[in-house]
Amino acid sequence: MTELVIERAGPLCTVQDAGRFGALRHGVSASGPMDRAAFEWAASLLGRAGSAGIEFTMAGLDFVVGGGELAVAVEGGRFGLEVNGAPHPWPSRLLLKEGDRVRITPGPAGNYGYLRFDREMSLAPVMGSRATNSIVGLGGLEGRALRKGDRLAFGPPLDQEAATVTTAATPTDGPIRVLWGLHAELFPAALRERFATTEFVVSTRLDRMGARLQDPDRVFDTTLPLALVSDAIVPGDIQILGDGTPIVLLRDHQPIGGYPRIATIAGADLDRFVQLRPGARVRFEPVTLARAHAMLGQS
Amino acid sequence: MLDPARPPSPPLLQPLGDRGLIVRFASELSDAANRAAIGFAARLRTEAPQGVVEVQPSLVSVLLHYDPRRIGYERLAGEIRLLLAADASEMSAPAQHVVPVVFDGPDLDEVAAVLSLSREGFIQRHCEAPLRVLTTGFAPGFVYCGFHGEELAVPRRTAVRPPVPAGSILFAARQTAIASTPIPTGWHVIGHTGFRNFQPDSDPPTVLREGDAIRFEALS
Repeated sequence: MTELVIERAGPLCTVQDAGRFGALRHGVSASGPMDRAAFEWAASLLGRAGSAGIEFTMAGLDFVVGGGELAVAVEGGRFGLEVNGAPHPWPSRLLLKEGDRVRITPGPAGNYGYLRFDREMSLAPVMGSRATNSIVGLGGLEGRALRKGDRLAFGPPLDQEAATVTTAATPTDGPIRVLWGLHAELFPAALRERFATTEFVVSTRLDRMGARLQDPDRVFDTTLPLALVSDAIVPGDIQILGDGTPIVLLRDHQPIGGYPRIATIAGADLDRFVQLRPGARVRFEPVTLARAHAMLGQS
Repeated sequence: MLDPARPPSPPLLQPLGDRGLIVRFASELSDAANRAAIGFAARLRTEAPQGVVEVQPSLVSVLLHYDPRRIGYERLAGEIRLLLAADASEMSAPAQHVVPVVFDGPDLDEVAAVLSLSREGFIQRHCEAPLRVLTTGFAPGFVYCGFHGEELAVPRRTAVRPPVPAGSILFAARQTAIASTPIPTGWHVIGHTGFRNFQPDSDPPTVLREGDAIRFEALS
């Protein structure tokens, strides 16, 4: 039986599938890939991919194939890639055989990359999904991040369709588009204006739950309303902590929360946001709901 | 703030991101708004408009997750307004639960002292109250139950405690909450239960539903 043996894993490297949907009312967020488009592009390189793949982080991932052949595709961000010491381009589709050693090394761009397979991982779904919820400890391999020595077994290869390669759209630069948030009206108009015109900086404190932003111009230095009633959170919500720190809530978010939320990142721009590295400058541009929906159609 | 007699103003419909429509029955917690949110979420389970992929009730609101390729926001908002205007059907009788608790939490004596009650007096009053599951959220299987009377009102702690174990019984703001996974908390920890509301291998994975009747029983 084909398996993959992890030789090195960066922090927060997890098994993900599309997500654990429908469980918010049980207090469980959907998880799933941080960069959904890249996760799907990786599958499209294979033609047909198993529903679960591996999400790795900036430090990359090294693994060896055991037990048989395995077709894999890598996509997302820009990483270095070597198979048995020979460099390969990024993204790539690889036909691997027993004993092949793959090294995914840090590259010039992105926080998250994806490894998809031509077969299903032999991991039992939890609540209908193999996605790892790293905060709660659900799904994936024992509900935790992957580490050196882990072995992931696979079922038989899926019947292949012709690969319909949809190449990754070139990420647009420019501001991250947002919709005004659940509590936008609690922020004075002048503060909203500053939010929409000021540069923030992605901090080093980012994980699957959320990304903290630095606010060098101190947009949020005023006293904000606290003790709001807890309300539903969606990925991309930008909440402001009591000390003025903005946090963008991401795939492993808490289902509900009580901090004021000024804006929500448009669905079409969330993948681009999660790939911004610590130190990247980011500006937020409010758009209408109609514009956000039109952008979804284009992506 | 928690005036059950005050009827909620008309619910507010608003986008939450580009795949969410939130129906807010109030901007602060009240018994009436919580009942309205629970009742509306129950109706949506049988009458959800096309294109709605998930219904998520919270304390005083209901979030509808929709697929914008299947239904536009304005169309969905129109459907929701029609549903809200229609007479609500009778709610079925809520399920009843009794949760056994060992009152041994590190904050129990402090809470009793703040309320000028003996430990036993507090436990008795806490367990007399017929409560309702207000919502699940924050963490898997984490339920908020309310409301205790004004005489049991204590604010949350100022400091957040590092993760408390699953089964911790938490108390603040006229509510009792049950932690079903280890979580950090700013609530007072007053006891623990062997009851586990979250069981990921069961279907459904939680036992308690919003709107269920719940009572706590002291184990000695």
